[in-house]
Amino acid sequence: MGSGGDERAWIRGAQAGSASALEALFRHHWPNAYRAAYLVVRDAAGAEDIAQEAFLAAVRNLDRFDRRRPFGPWLHRIVVNRAIDWARARTLRREVGDAPLEAVAAAPPGGNPHAHDLAEGLAALSPEHRAVIVLRHLLEYTPSEIAELLGLPRGTVNSRLRRGLDELQDRLGEDLR
Amino acid sequence: MSWEDAAPGEREAGERSWRVVRSAYEERIPSPRPRPRWPVVALVAALAIVAAVLSPPGMAVLGKVRDAVREPNARPAVFSLPTAGRLLVESDKGVWVVQRDGSKRLLGGYHDASWSPNGRFLAAVHGAELRAIEPDGTIHWTLGRRGGPRVPTWSDASPPCCRIAYRAGTAVRVINGDGTDDRAWQVREAPVTPAWRPGTHELATVGANGTLALGDVDRDVPRLSFPVPMPFELLWTGDGRRLLVVGGSSIGTYSPRGRLLRPLPFGGVAAAVAPRDHRLAVVRALAGGRSEVRLVDTDRGTSRILFSGVGEFGDAAWSPDGRWLVLAWDSADQWLFLRTAQPRRVIAVAHIAASFGGHPRIAGWCCP
Repeated sequence: MGSGGDERAWIRGAQAGSASALEALFRHHWPNAYRAAYLVVRDAAGAEDIAQEAFLAAVRNLDRFDRRRPFGPWLHRIVVNRAIDWARARTLRREVGDAPLEAVAAAPPGGNPHAHDLAEGLAALSPEHRAVIVLRHLLEYTPSEIAELLGLPRGTVNSRLRRGLDELQDRLGEDLR
Repeated sequence: MSWEDAAPGEREAGERSWRVVRSAYEERIPSPRPRPRWPVVALVAALAIVAAVLSPPGMAVLGKVRDAVREPNARPAVFSLPTAGRLLVESDKGVWVVQRDGSKRLLGGYHDASWSPNGRFLAAVHGAELRAIEPDGTIHWTLGRRGGPRVPTWSDASPPCCRIAYRAGTAVRVINGDGTDDRAWQVREAPVTPAWRPGTHELATVGANGTLALGDVDRDVPRLSFPVPMPFELLWTGDGRRLLVVGGSSIGTYSPRGRLLRPLPFGGVAAAVAPRDHRLAVVRALAGGRSEVRLVDTDRGTSRILFSGVGEFGDAAWSPDGRWLVLAWDSADQWLFLRTAQPRRVIAVAHIAASFGGHPRIAGWCCP
């Protein structure tokens, strides 16, 4: 993982026209951006769209980006908010009774069984609860930072974390706190 | 269980996305600038400023190129629109239809809305459904789509009227305006809204590999495809004679046969084409925290500044008669109605977020 100094150098390089600096920045941040989106939306195509569009937004705004600020929170704010919107849209469809399509959307993902377990456990939670848990435990933000990223009161973040983790713990049988 | 395990498809999605991101980046890289010859540059700049100030258009424009962060004499709300038509606005609350007299109706829960050619209907997304609705909210048909449809846009050709293109996942799909014959048109697309050529059922799309495809959606395959720098927006001029590939640092102008006519040496963060002619408004973010909106004559390749200010500008939309441009001055929480012809006029409206809800966005200005 790159240090804050590496990241500032990559951003400076990318702003100056270095594709290799941008690639270093992309490859450093892609796994967490994609995983965060995936764990909120539980759909590989949706996660790819969300993470990709966040990076495209970064490219569009690269010249205006203040390189003294960390890049991760800026990117993660876009990813998680878009993922919440996406997941809400799917929830709304479930409410209008689109059962066959929902069955397709909820098909178990292939590949990593751990990711499968975690995703299945998170699936029982609302998108908002999933988001704060992903921000806390995957991206390792503090509750205060999560509150700032999502524009929520810190008390709301804490209560969502507490409720979400209780439920996740019941389902997975592991202590996540 | 570990939070550090890769998610399904993570690596392959990363490779695909890197290609898209790199294309977008290469498009935005500014050309290297020659070392400035300061005394000459300063003299030329001084002469240009004097000439601009002394010309009538210059006086009109430079009056607005101050370090203003908002218009001080803005109206407190949208009391009326300066010309005929209805505005479509999106916010966190949903979609708003604003009548010329300033009255407005909220269609809650909708987003990604667009006008039908004559303004009788809207195509909009509600949850995971694409819906055709009347401006009063009456639903005509709905279509569920896995993952949620996005950015539906209407063709304006008739007869037969009409077609609606929309994105679903990474595909671009097309459905008839009456809700029949939903079909995939292109399957592996970049996140760029497709563009209808005015007066036709020809659709321009950009693939994830940067290939622009152009064809009549009532036929099986596109008639034309060619590589383009990855754009953030595709537009046809209002007269249907130019296809504009809008990137962050340049705008490619193409003929309907795919011939590159004239690249414009600047890009933007948003763009809007005037109805029925060849004008383009480009919203640009400049160094030093400034923004400007520039009017481009796409036939001649010339442009001029219409308005400039401090902070961030958002979307813009032309009035149906092509005489006004509404511009979102996001950082000032204002809209500006800018008359593009002489005599210049600016009408500012404040408190936009309070009027419409968070993150308001101008989605269109349609028919009387």
